[in-house]
Amino acid sequence: MVVKVKTPLTTKVTFLLPASLLVLTFVVYPIIATIMLSFNINPIPNVNVVGDRKPGLENYVKVLTNFKFINIEGLKSFSFPMGAIIHNIIWIAIHLPLTLITGLLLAILLQNVKGGTIIRSFIFLGMVIPMIVGGLLIQFSFDRDLGVVNLFLKIMGLGFIARSWTIYPDTALFSLILGSVWLWTGFTVTMYSAGLASIPKEVIEAAIVDGADFKTILFKIIIPLLRPVTITVVAMTILWDLKIFDIVYASTQGGPGGASMVLALLMYDFFARLQDYPLSATVAVILTVVTLPVVALWIKATLRGGKT
Amino acid sequence: MEIQTKLIIAIIIAFVIGVVVGYGVGLMQAPSQPAQTVTVTTTITQTTTAPATTVTTAPVTLTVVGPWAGDEMKAFMEVLKEFERTHPNIKVEYRIYRAEDLASIAPPQFAANMTPGDVIFTAWGWWVKKMGEEGHLYDLSNLVNTDEYVKGIFDPVTSNGKIYGLPFTAWAKPGFWYRKSFFEKYGLEPPKTWDDFLKLLDKLKEILNGPPIVTGDNVGWPISDVTEHFIITFGGPELQLKLIKGEVKFTDPQVREIFEKYLVPLLEKGYFSEPIEWTRALELWWKGKYALYFMGTWITGMVDDPDDLGFFPLPGCKGVVMGTDYIIVPKYTKYPKEALELAKWLATEGQRVHVGTRAGKFATWLKVGIEDHWKPMQEVYAKLKDKTPLPDLDDTVGGDWQKLFWDQLKLLWVDPGKLDQVLKTLAENFPKK
Repeated sequence: MVVKVKTPLTTKVTFLLPASLLVLTFVVYPIIATIMLSFNINPIPNVNVVGDRKPGLENYVKVLTNFKFINIEGLKSFSFPMGAIIHNIIWIAIHLPLTLITGLLLAILLQNVKGGTIIRSFIFLGMVIPMIVGGLLIQFSFDRDLGVVNLFLKIMGLGFIARSWTIYPDTALFSLILGSVWLWTGFTVTMYSAGLASIPKEVIEAAIVDGADFKTILFKIIIPLLRPVTITVVAMTILWDLKIFDIVYASTQGGPGGASMVLALLMYDFFARLQDYPLSATVAVILTVVTLPVVALWIKATLRGGKT
Repeated sequence: MEIQTKLIIAIIIAFVIGVVVGYGVGLMQAPSQPAQTVTVTTTITQTTTAPATTVTTAPVTLTVVGPWAGDEMKAFMEVLKEFERTHPNIKVEYRIYRAEDLASIAPPQFAANMTPGDVIFTAWGWWVKKMGEEGHLYDLSNLVNTDEYVKGIFDPVTSNGKIYGLPFTAWAKPGFWYRKSFFEKYGLEPPKTWDDFLKLLDKLKEILNGPPIVTGDNVGWPISDVTEHFIITFGGPELQLKLIKGEVKFTDPQVREIFEKYLVPLLEKGYFSEPIEWTRALELWWKGKYALYFMGTWITGMVDDPDDLGFFPLPGCKGVVMGTDYIIVPKYTKYPKEALELAKWLATEGQRVHVGTRAGKFATWLKVGIEDHWKPMQEVYAKLKDKTPLPDLDDTVGGDWQKLFWDQLKLLWVDPGKLDQVLKTLAENFPKK
């Protein structure tokens, strides 16, 4: 029998108030202020941030028609730059499957290997270093003379194609995406390693006794049982890809010719270079709107205990 | 009531409280009245004692923000040391902020009535003007005698008769630098005609078995400097000025011809290297991997042997891009009197100290004689004195277009076939008056 104890209202308020005030002031209000700003409404009275602009959708029109946001000519010819939003989508399309597969395979591989923990720690280093440093490391890694990528190509006998990959419009974005796979794989490996550890050994052993091969165990047991982990990894990776900033800022600044421009950097440029806060807020709102469905699905899946 | 209904009501209440609380916090943080426009009218003499009206017995520590690091910083520190020596009541701390970082960090601080430094240096005149017009900077009109400075040096930082920045020492971007020993070793001479230049590039390419000109890279300014040199050489100083004013577009046939006939063929023939971070490019060039490097005069203070340095402009070039670092004093400094005193000293006697160091700079204060300059800079001056000084194109236009200009030129450097696309982008996005 469950005994329900009624908590006095004063206790509820006492516990709720401090956290609520902080959340309301530093989370809820800035969100509302950003939305207001994006519609050219001054969020603070007597402080004119929007200038003489009239309230309305002007900023949204400006951003959505800006070639840095989406470049129709680039899309038509399938050449860079295609615009920040497309670049973010490309980032997700390549980065997400690569990190998922690499993370899962490495986690399985390192599970029963002697010294696996040490190797996992090395892989996790990518997550430990600040992303701004990660951006510089990517730039160096793809450098013609200093880079490990070109060194590898030379060893493979492909030295004739060596170049500074981050400075060419057709390869800049892909170089950054590949670099980000290295930086983010530590996260997926760690998540999957934890997930693997939670799978009862008896299940695998029973499958082996029943004569299941590795492929069957992987696809019929491990991957289905890792579904809750996969949902979290997918959601976190998509969110990370959508808000990617530091790597691009440190290595290419979104160039050359806007070929590696991403949404967060566009927002920063409007904020820091143009000091056009309403435009920057507009990109922030668009970025939030884009991320919301991912977050909603993730929360929904988490609340259901991964049973999507 | 169902749980869902309760949840919705709770969210609505939270939303309303959020707006009210945030609004209240916003109101509290909002300045009660617009910042005052203060004009400095007191004449501050160089003295070690404070005026009787201000009680400042304890030493004041000022923070100076500037863009210089490495060798350039060493040269600047000599200036600050001299100031501290002559002004024992004022201590100075130096912090490094690149112009592009400062332009990002300072405005939000200014908006909150704060400042990253008491005295700030930046080369971006457009930014100084903007901050001044927004009411964040002291008007320095009466701090110095503007007639004692290089003509036109105050123009980029002047608005409605107010001067928001004082000029410090100036640099020039005179042409392609080379090592005299390298040229002597291979019997090479600086070119006198465009054809000579092309022949020289051919020879150098053969000698080096690679591109003869190293392309400096950073956020993009080294590439824009070379481009401007081509514009000035083949379009004349007037074209540079017209481009800055927006009177001529980048898609204009005259501009296009300069790119198509002179710059793009050099890029296509591989005479320029891939963009390399400019200080690393300097090392590689000095070690002999490349023969030519287009860079500003500050390079004289960054090499081991300045006597081995030579430079030549493109044959026929009549102008030279010159620029200065402007000294600004934000209104939010805690020590306005001392900060203004330092600003004035830096714009006058401080220049004399600076040009005597290995900074690779010229004085903009005309009371500093050429004999006060470091010897290698005296030689550079002798070669440049007949050229028309011109403002830097991207530093003058500024804003988002500056970054676009750098970025598009980086694109042109690696893909010269995109010339029309680059020029069209630059023309279409040029700031409207």
